[in-house]
Amino acid sequence: MIKVKNLKRYYGSGSTTVKALNGVSFEINKGEFVAIMGASGSGKTTILRILALLDDATSGEYTIRGLKVSSLPEAERSYYRLTQVGYVFQDYALINEMTAAENVYILSMMEGKSKKESYKVALEALEKVGLKDKHDRIPDELSGGEKQRVAIARAIAKKPDIMFADEPCANLDTRNSEQVLDVFKDLNDNYGQTIVMVTHEPWHVKYVDRVITFKDGVMVGDEWVEDR
Amino acid sequence: MIDDIRVGVLIASSSIKRGNKKTLLFIVFVLSLIFMNLVFLPSMIGGMTVLFTGIMQDYPYGDIVIEPTGDNTYINNADNVLQKVRAVEGVRAATKRLDVGASIEHKQNVVGVTITGVIPTEEYEISQYPYIIKEGDFLGELSRDEIIIGSIISGTSTTFGEIYDDLGETRVGSLVDVTYSNGVKRTYKVKGIMEGNFELVDLNAMVHYKEIEDVYGLDKGKATSVVVRIDEPGTEDEMKAKIREAGVNEQVFTWADKSETLIRQALQSLGAIDVMSKFVGLIVGAALILIIIYINILNRKKEIGILKAVGITPRSIVLSYAFLSMFYVSLGIFAGLILYLSLMFYFQANPVVFYETMEIRPQIDVMLVIQSIVTMLTLSVIAGTLPAWSVSKESILKAIWGR
Ligand SMILES: Nc1ncnc2c1ncn2[C@@H]1O[C@H](COP(=O)(O)OP(=O)(O)OP(=O)(O)O)[C@@H](O)[C@H]1O
Ligand SMILES: [Mg+2]
Repeated sequence: MIKVKNLKRYYGSGSTTVKALNGVSFEINKGEFVAIMGASGSGKTTILRILALLDDATSGEYTIRGLKVSSLPEAERSYYRLTQVGYVFQDYALINEMTAAENVYILSMMEGKSKKESYKVALEALEKVGLKDKHDRIPDELSGGEKQRVAIARAIAKKPDIMFADEPCANLDTRNSEQVLDVFKDLNDNYGQTIVMVTHEPWHVKYVDRVITFKDGVMVGDEWVEDR
Repeated sequence: MIDDIRVGVLIASSSIKRGNKKTLLFIVFVLSLIFMNLVFLPSMIGGMTVLFTGIMQDYPYGDIVIEPTGDNTYINNADNVLQKVRAVEGVRAATKRLDVGASIEHKQNVVGVTITGVIPTEEYEISQYPYIIKEGDFLGELSRDEIIIGSIISGTSTTFGEIYDDLGETRVGSLVDVTYSNGVKRTYKVKGIMEGNFELVDLNAMVHYKEIEDVYGLDKGKATSVVVRIDEPGTEDEMKAKIREAGVNEQVFTWADKSETLIRQALQSLGAIDVMSKFVGLIVGAALILIIIYINILNRKKEIGILKAVGITPRSIVLSYAFLSMFYVSLGIFAGLILYLSLMFYFQANPVVFYETMEIRPQIDVMLVIQSIVTMLTLSVIAGTLPAWSVSKESILKAIWGR
């Protein structure tokens, strides 16, 4: 489903060049739940942003279902982001002036669904992250964990082909983290949702199928989790 | 596109509903001042113009004035001219006048004046003279031994009292001796004192038209001028042409032709100031609207990045800012309109006094108000669209994370 080949991402130029990604190749197939792990600064966020079409690689190739998305024009990338890709940010990235429900249903509206339908979709998604009763709160009225769960609801509402999450549990306590990971697992098990999640936490491994490990911008490990 | 609009409206409305109310208030306040700036000064200048032009029209010249050709002192067949003029479509009223030089004497005080012979009943339709009698009454059809004198001559002008010679204590009922330029002497009773707070009027005197005919032994139908009022202000030049076409061979002038150079120049420079103030107001307004909206958008750069990142089309984002700034500007126009109208009402009731006596009441120019509204709305769309467009073109990472 996703395929990257010799992907490189350099920041800056000359002597100050940071080689955040230095030739990464892998393939992720439909229905996989993949964790990307590695030390801080190893390039996890960088690869995720490129996969989610938020950033461009310096060189290399990136295809989704055979389509070379690394060279798509912005309008089509935008369409891909809207319809095929869900992204959960490390820092929630909610619109502060919109309620939880609005933050979620704006995407359905963008896809052309009616307001009523969009609202229904939003409530369903919020229910999955356990926030249905707080749908009319604005982000300022929610805890950090709740904000992140709204962000997750936003990402899963459109039932994307691939979902990316950059340390989605960084701001959640264990109980909340488990709740979120259960949602991910549920999506993965029951809807075949492909998920790529960056994480630091070794205990998250038990939720995933596969662990890709990064170090200094290159892939140093790719293991399947046996007993899950 | 419909989806873009719906999403744009959602973004804009949530930002209005839950955005910072103080910021909104401030933006609207500044925008209302911009609107005021566009319409207020032109209104005052309009008021000044109306004042100046009004004087020329209301007293000496009407809308159009017909005078003798060449060196002739009189229009010889004024009744014939009047007949032709009155038949012209668009003429509201016309009358003839006889201006002569004279001196007035009262208790050893002598003042040189212009005496105008008028047909009193006709003047009501033509000029403001009948309406500015501050003491006594205007002339009547049978007034033959009566005179109206200006307040400066009578010595009762509060404005010009010190500057000009006057007759001392002349009041309604006082007898004055008039020596006409041909040497004929008459004694008149002062029937009324007129005050227009304008030298042209208050230094003048007025008797019945027949009186002048009599004194100068004129044949019937002589006049020094025929004064015409028209139905449609602003059509003076067309009417002038029509009157000529109707076979009037005397000299035909509009009030503007006749206005003294000074006033013409004043009006011209007022016009220039008017154009300049509108221009400057527009530039300053446009710049301010752009700056306000731009700062507002810069503050929401991250939000724009997030919206883009989750798949909202740049077009919806740009639209939302166009809606947003249109909303701000509409509120600003609304507030500005209220502010403007209240100021207009205030100055209508308490006119600005100019040269101590000329009261300037600002004129509401509806066309200009509409123009300003349209201009500001147009600017708001541009001001909302351009910066949002440029920000939405930025890379997502840069917009969200600043690098
Ligand atoms: N915009 C940028 N400009 C310059 N260098 C950058 C930029 N973004 C990231 N980097 C660098 O690229 C490298 C990889 O960063 P990245 O954010 O991908 O790490 P990470 O694995 O997500 O780390 P963490 O676990 O701390 O989130 C780091 O050395 C980082 O300093
Ligand atoms: Mg990271």
